[in-house]
Amino acid sequence: MEFDLFKIARYPFMEEAKKWVKNEKIEIHEVLNDPIYERARMRAVERVKQAMKYGIIKDTPLLNEIDCMMEIFSYPLARLIVASVESEYLIRRYALAEAKKAYENLKKEDSSFIQKIAMEFGMEVKDGVIHFSDYLKYAPTWDMKWKLINRVMEKGYVKLSNEEIARLIQEAIRSKIQNELFYMFAPPEINKIFGELIANLKNKLVAKEIKRAEGISEKDYPPCIKNLILAIKSGMNVPHVGRFTLVTFLNAIGASTEDILKIFSNSPDFNEEKTRYQIEHITGKISGTVYAVPKCATIRTWGLCYPDELCKRVNHPLFYYRLRRRKNELSKEKVL
Amino acid sequence: MNYLKKKFYEYYLKAEIEPPRRIERREFAFLFFNEDMMKRHISFKNKDWLLRYLKANVPAHVYYSSAYYGEPSANTMKEKKWMGADLIFDLDADHLPMAKKMTYEESLESVKEELKKLVSFLIDDFGFNEKDLSIYFSGGRGYHCHVHDKRVLDLGSQERREIVDYVTGRGIDYNHIVVERSIYGYGITRTIEISPSSLGWRGRIARAIISFLEEIKNMERDDAIEKLMGFEGIGKKVASDIYDGLDDNRMALIKEGKIDQMASIKRLLKPLMKELAVKLHSSTDEPVTADIKRLIRLPGSLHGKTGFRVTKVGIDALEDFNPLEDAIVFGDEMVSIKVIKPFKVKLKGEEFILKEGVTKVPEYVAVFAIARKFANIF
Repeated sequence: MEFDLFKIARYPFMEEAKKWVKNEKIEIHEVLNDPIYERARMRAVERVKQAMKYGIIKDTPLLNEIDCMMEIFSYPLARLIVASVESEYLIRRYALAEAKKAYENLKKEDSSFIQKIAMEFGMEVKDGVIHFSDYLKYAPTWDMKWKLINRVMEKGYVKLSNEEIARLIQEAIRSKIQNELFYMFAPPEINKIFGELIANLKNKLVAKEIKRAEGISEKDYPPCIKNLILAIKSGMNVPHVGRFTLVTFLNAIGASTEDILKIFSNSPDFNEEKTRYQIEHITGKISGTVYAVPKCATIRTWGLCYPDELCKRVNHPLFYYRLRRRKNELSKEKVL
Repeated sequence: MNYLKKKFYEYYLKAEIEPPRRIERREFAFLFFNEDMMKRHISFKNKDWLLRYLKANVPAHVYYSSAYYGEPSANTMKEKKWMGADLIFDLDADHLPMAKKMTYEESLESVKEELKKLVSFLIDDFGFNEKDLSIYFSGGRGYHCHVHDKRVLDLGSQERREIVDYVTGRGIDYNHIVVERSIYGYGITRTIEISPSSLGWRGRIARAIISFLEEIKNMERDDAIEKLMGFEGIGKKVASDIYDGLDDNRMALIKEGKIDQMASIKRLLKPLMKELAVKLHSSTDEPVTADIKRLIRLPGSLHGKTGFRVTKVGIDALEDFNPLEDAIVFGDEMVSIKVIKPFKVKLKGEEFILKEGVTKVPEYVAVFAIARKFANIF
């Protein structure tokens, strides 16, 4: 079988990549230990670091077959590192970063190659059209322009440009890598070889969480907000208005997109990309409009209000939070 | 045994029931006469067991799951192991805003209009084969449309929601539907072009605008203006502008798809689009069709609140189907009933206006009246 190493290196998740590695008869411990593969290991570290830092992995120049080989080996190594960190957050972020990298390259490819990759993910693309059932599985329909109704569809087939098909493939790659990593178990050897990076990442992820906790006082949240968080954390399906209330509230008290995402990551149908988009929409990072926190009366009509004593004195969840906070801070000073 | 149950029993003794596909993978659920609790999590190996159950227990309502399960009789969703589900649209007069003011007969007729729109979307836009669509009169206030195409089986709730949004017009973005083009020549003008031969929503909207404007053009001025003013956001001035501007020249351009010959025509877009959309839900946003694990009435079974049969309707036969005749299974032997609530209904083409007190009616009217709780057997 003839392999196109340059293609495989750009798209290391391809079936062909697996076949090539098998064909080369190189054992994983060789790639992990032999100094000759040092470059592959370094690139693996880079992949993970870039995913964490930028949310996308940058391409590396591929000038010859050795470059390609190192690039191809770096991919499974990077996955093993991510699996070793055992962080859902990192898995999601890494899967998205790999998928985005693939998209950046894919959209420049010709139709026949795009068609081939689409096939690998079970999507049948022919002459720039795709069946709506495949389309719906991968299209980011939370975005208005991707809604099926805003597409041209004839007899079940949706018309798409190459770039748009590449975008669907991006989502297919993301979900594939993410699912694989959730069930992947890395051998302990990985921890020895990449120990420093893994420890570092774990620290960073913990630090992120600590930073999150500071400055925001969860115990001072009004009961409606506490209830919403509880419901989401326990995996219940919270209605749209509930999610909206929660996001506007958390944003108003200074939580970052990451903080808010963290809460939603417990949701059963969590989709990081989609949730991030929605949060950034509500908090004005995309739309430019910062949505206001709904007032108590509105929350009541939505059936999300579970008032306590203090609620009687306020008509807005933010007042409740400020009152509570001030009260608690004053009492703290007294004790000191 | 009460009268209704006895009649249902007689029906189930001889009933021809077409079982749902993959019957062994479905959950069945029943409601019985004089019982509030639904009996759920029942499954049958095959049609014979189902028929035996119906004869032995004579339920008032029979449902089965649109979903296929690994263990259909398990008690929890998790243990049931979801395998896939048919796509089912539920069109009900209760979802139509104007249905409240209509008679039963009229409301069923207007649901049929919605059903025709739905079928056109499913066949023309979604490309479903006619043989993969089954339509049933629900026995109550509407119709069900089942889609069995294998490609919808494993669609999740979110994906089904998109299909619902498509047919109901929810989330439509006019900027994606209408293409604006700059025309160079006499400076730059903007024009909206949507060809009537376009596919999907675009073409539908274009055709609707064209036929609407043709209708307006052929009307008397006063009538046309009145009709135009019926649309939200169109006042007397705009209505007159539209009517007076529709000369032959302009109409010819409009027919080519250059629809915004007048800015005011744009205002027709939204309201006309609303007419094209299928009215599938009431204003509250119940995700019935998007639900991947709902219960649906069994075709061939009887509806306990009307006594009508859940009846299959061929797509070609839809026009001629009259639920208040074709879904009646009981005979015309005369029966005495005591009417407790006066009512009016047209069954088998005959109008029955019944006042309080004892009267004799054909059996099929008696069953309907008793099931509706308008009367008791006397």
